[in-house]
Amino acid sequence: MSSQHSDNSGLGAEAMNEYVSVRIGDQLFGAPVDAIREVFAPQSVTHVPLAPDEVAGLLNLRGRIVTAIDARRRLGLTPREKTETGMALGVERGNEIFGLIVDSVGEVLRRPRSELEPVPAHVDARWRSMVKGVHRLEKELLAVLDVSAVIGTAGQTNKAA
Amino acid sequence: MDDLISEFLTETAESLDVIDAELVRFENNPEDRAILDNIFRLLHTIKGTCGFLGLPRLEAVAHAGETLLGKFRDGELAVSPPMVTLVLEAIDQIKVLLESLEETGAEPAGEDSALISKLEDAAMGKLEGAVQPDAPQKPENWDEDLGRELRPGEVSLADLEAAFQNADVEPANAPGDAAPAESAPVQHLGVGDFDPELGRELRPGEVSAAELEAAFMSADVEPGYAPEPPKAFITDDMSHEEALQSAMAELKGVDHVAGGEGGPRVQQTVRVTVDVLEGLMTTVSELVLTRNQLMQTIRGMEDEELKGPLQRLSAVTGELQDGVMKTRMQPIGDAWRKLPRIIRDVSTDLGKKIELVMEGQDTELDRQVLELIKDPLTHMVRNSADHGLEMPADRVKAGKPEKGRIKLSAYHEGGHIIISISDDGKGLDTKRIGEKALEKGLTTHDELERMTEAQIHRFIFAPGFSTAAKVTNLSGRGVGMDVVRTNIEQIGGVVDVASTAGRGSHFSIKIPLTLAIVSALIVGCDEQRFAIPQLAVRELVRVGAGSEHTVEKLHGARVMRLRDRLMPIVDLHDVLGVGEAYSGGEDEAAFVVVLDAGGRNVGLVVDNVLDTEEIVVKPLSESLRNVSAYSGATILGDGSVIMILDPNGLAGEIVSAMEEEAVNDMASASVTELAQQTQRLLLVRAGGTEPKAVPLALVTRLEEFEPDTIETTNGRQVVQYRGRLMPIVPLGAEIRCTEGQRLPVLVFAENHTAIGLAVDQIVDVVEERVDMQMSSDKQGVIGSAIIKGKATDVVDIAWYLDQSRASDIQRRSASRRRKVLLVDADAFARRMIAPLLAAAGYDVTPAGGMHEVKSIAEAGEHFDALVGDPAALDRIRNEGMWTNLPALAVTDWPEDTPADGLTVVLPRSDRGALIAALDEVSQEEKVA
Repeated sequence: MSSQHSDNSGLGAEAMNEYVSVRIGDQLFGAPVDAIREVFAPQSVTHVPLAPDEVAGLLNLRGRIVTAIDARRRLGLTPREKTETGMALGVERGNEIFGLIVDSVGEVLRRPRSELEPVPAHVDARWRSMVKGVHRLEKELLAVLDVSAVIGTAGQTNKAA
Repeated sequence: MDDLISEFLTETAESLDVIDAELVRFENNPEDRAILDNIFRLLHTIKGTCGFLGLPRLEAVAHAGETLLGKFRDGELAVSPPMVTLVLEAIDQIKVLLESLEETGAEPAGEDSALISKLEDAAMGKLEGAVQPDAPQKPENWDEDLGRELRPGEVSLADLEAAFQNADVEPANAPGDAAPAESAPVQHLGVGDFDPELGRELRPGEVSAAELEAAFMSADVEPGYAPEPPKAFITDDMSHEEALQSAMAELKGVDHVAGGEGGPRVQQTVRVTVDVLEGLMTTVSELVLTRNQLMQTIRGMEDEELKGPLQRLSAVTGELQDGVMKTRMQPIGDAWRKLPRIIRDVSTDLGKKIELVMEGQDTELDRQVLELIKDPLTHMVRNSADHGLEMPADRVKAGKPEKGRIKLSAYHEGGHIIISISDDGKGLDTKRIGEKALEKGLTTHDELERMTEAQIHRFIFAPGFSTAAKVTNLSGRGVGMDVVRTNIEQIGGVVDVASTAGRGSHFSIKIPLTLAIVSALIVGCDEQRFAIPQLAVRELVRVGAGSEHTVEKLHGARVMRLRDRLMPIVDLHDVLGVGEAYSGGEDEAAFVVVLDAGGRNVGLVVDNVLDTEEIVVKPLSESLRNVSAYSGATILGDGSVIMILDPNGLAGEIVSAMEEEAVNDMASASVTELAQQTQRLLLVRAGGTEPKAVPLALVTRLEEFEPDTIETTNGRQVVQYRGRLMPIVPLGAEIRCTEGQRLPVLVFAENHTAIGLAVDQIVDVVEERVDMQMSSDKQGVIGSAIIKGKATDVVDIAWYLDQSRASDIQRRSASRRRKVLLVDADAFARRMIAPLLAAAGYDVTPAGGMHEVKSIAEAGEHFDALVGDPAALDRIRNEGMWTNLPALAVTDWPEDTPADGLTVVLPRSDRGALIAALDEVSQEEKVA
């Protein structure tokens, strides 16, 4: 997990960003570690009729009710198959806990803060509102999620859309 | 010290609230010493504690306020509103200082000399001759000095005051005998008493040196030096912090002496932070869930060994839950405490005179609920004072007492608390609200026309609605009744308004006592489970598959017959958009949960009913909060999460549809309309076994005639009755006389004629809501209704009257038939009165609602008189239509109806009087 990039060595110890890498659809995303409370496998999610589309349902996380948000739907990707349960990132906001459902969770990545590049302007506006920037990895791009934006506008999708 | 300060802040905030309220009471009852003593004591304690804690600014303001109060107490100054305002200003300043103390932990920089000198001027300047020449002009700052001297910290003034209280000595002791003896209770010198050591009388705020000395001695200055304290209140081994705390405990006791009767009633209380209680509550909630889970697991097992302990665990958990719930209960009076002050400010600002009456302050409810309704309540009371009550002059003009009245009351009703706020002001301005609703695009002209007043009034709860013509300091700042409604609905409550123009408005709020744990019914729908709060469940009915109940369809809408009433049905499948709706087929079974939705019964179809469980209500996240079908979520015993259904949300649309329906019914003259009021009906039997009903109000008398008194003249049957011939008409097919039995006859008399309706038997008199189910083609029958569980024909009296009249000489052939407009929202009444008037020779135009009346007016119709219910007549007048016509009101409650603007108010049952009155007014008119 020590992928040192030392092209900016002149500045000494560089500020690093830590990300939990997650996969949503075909895209690799990074969720800033400090925004994530925990990672868990969502079990028995209760479907909530009439709820907004992106609300996958409610689940019980050690006695607390967690609102599960489907990241695919938030990002406008094709919904998952019913059989795929995926993984969930626990995010605490105020007194509430949200579970952001993603396809899979990978390793924790460290990237120098300076390498974070802005999202290209021609990317879909919905994405741009939820992605803070992009890191160029060797093989692919890592889109940095603005976790609170993904969760945050869950109640006000109309405003976002 | 931080803990001390925060405790001081809490205590003082409570004391200040009490002072606020008490001062307002005091202003109205300046003679009540008990109130003043209480205020004085509270302020004094605050001052003392400030001195102790080294808060000179607070102390100075409190001292100045106290000095002025002292003058009231000694009767040296008369209490007047400006004086009270001044003291309130001081209290406000203390609050400001406290706020900053809370934020920064220190008093803010600056000084309050302006306020203090105002207070001093009030206290001293107006005190002619009472100031001793050799006394310094400004109040001595000895207590500040004392505070400083004390700072090593032995005793506070609060303790001192407490010590006075405990020394059972009359304050009015003669000067001179106050020589303090060590360890003996100290003589307390009142203000104005002569202090031998000082060589002059004590001034307000002063204490004799002897008392001071005793207080010093009671604190542990040096071990071995201090003698016995005057009372056990402050003991040697107490640290100064403990002493302060016991002083605070004293203060807390004082808090509860609202009326001031008797001495301070010290309560055994422990102060616990809300966080601890909340934590406890959460833990207990989890315990309840775990208990439920265990119970569920054990249910399937036959393990006797576990059953006993588990039962005990269950019982103990229940008790614990009750106990914890109790700690969360608070009297609603706590939320009302600020109101007297607010009302006082409003009345001063606006020049209104307002009396605030509070009832049921002790009614307890959950702390959390209390917090949530505090602001809405304050807002509503403010609104009543600001918009509801008129200016004194207007009130006098309207014949009302100058002083307006706002009444708050609270009481428990089956798991709910009902809070009502009523005022005797001008009531809601229906016209203004209607216009505003149009302006805001909340409704259309057509809809508005069809609405009842109550429906129009409810617009005040619509978002963004505020009727204040001008924004005052008090209300109309954008936060309207919609916020109130949202807040109340958020906690599962309902708010409604009833208002009568000129008489005032009445707001009622119904909220659950607690939000935390509720008992719920678990139902299944499309393989999912949902919880319904038991409080809203009236009953459960099984439908289909052999059950006597079925869900029927009426033009696509589902209904169910339940005890002779039709109940609207919603299908949970449809509402939530899941699965297949219940088909209502013979072999398909389902359950109907009868819900109380805003006071109406609505049936909810679910697939099955699974269980009842105590559930812990958890709030929904933002994204789900605006789905009106749910009020929360919960975790069941088996760990799964389920949604809690909100009956009001589910039935909301249906209920509003029902209301609209009722209005439409009133407007149309269809035969199937609903009569809203109960009718007294006479049940008779005539020609056949099924009963017939006659509205009792129309029957003049019941008589019995011997069969042989009935004669036949000119092909008609008549009897001699009161010196005249009265025709007898059979209600059945024919008059059936049984030998030796008298014939029962219903007599209908009007003016000088009477007819008798012969029946076979008089069965009963019942009082019921007449819900006409079917119209009838049969002559002489209005329709059928279910009365006492039986289909019953309702007799059309008018038809019979016409029958008998047909061959009569035309009563008023000579004169023009006079025209009467009959307005009555009650369709039943309309149908009954109209034919009677017609039979009496009037040309009757019936109208059910205002829009009908308006269209008649627009058509340019002319009338000779108006007849109708008082409310309708009032509205017609207010609209400025036919104002010159005599208006005859008929009502069931003539004695409760004011006759302003009406020609006469008559009881609905006395149709003779109505016709007589009509005849009379039309005669007058002719003369005029």
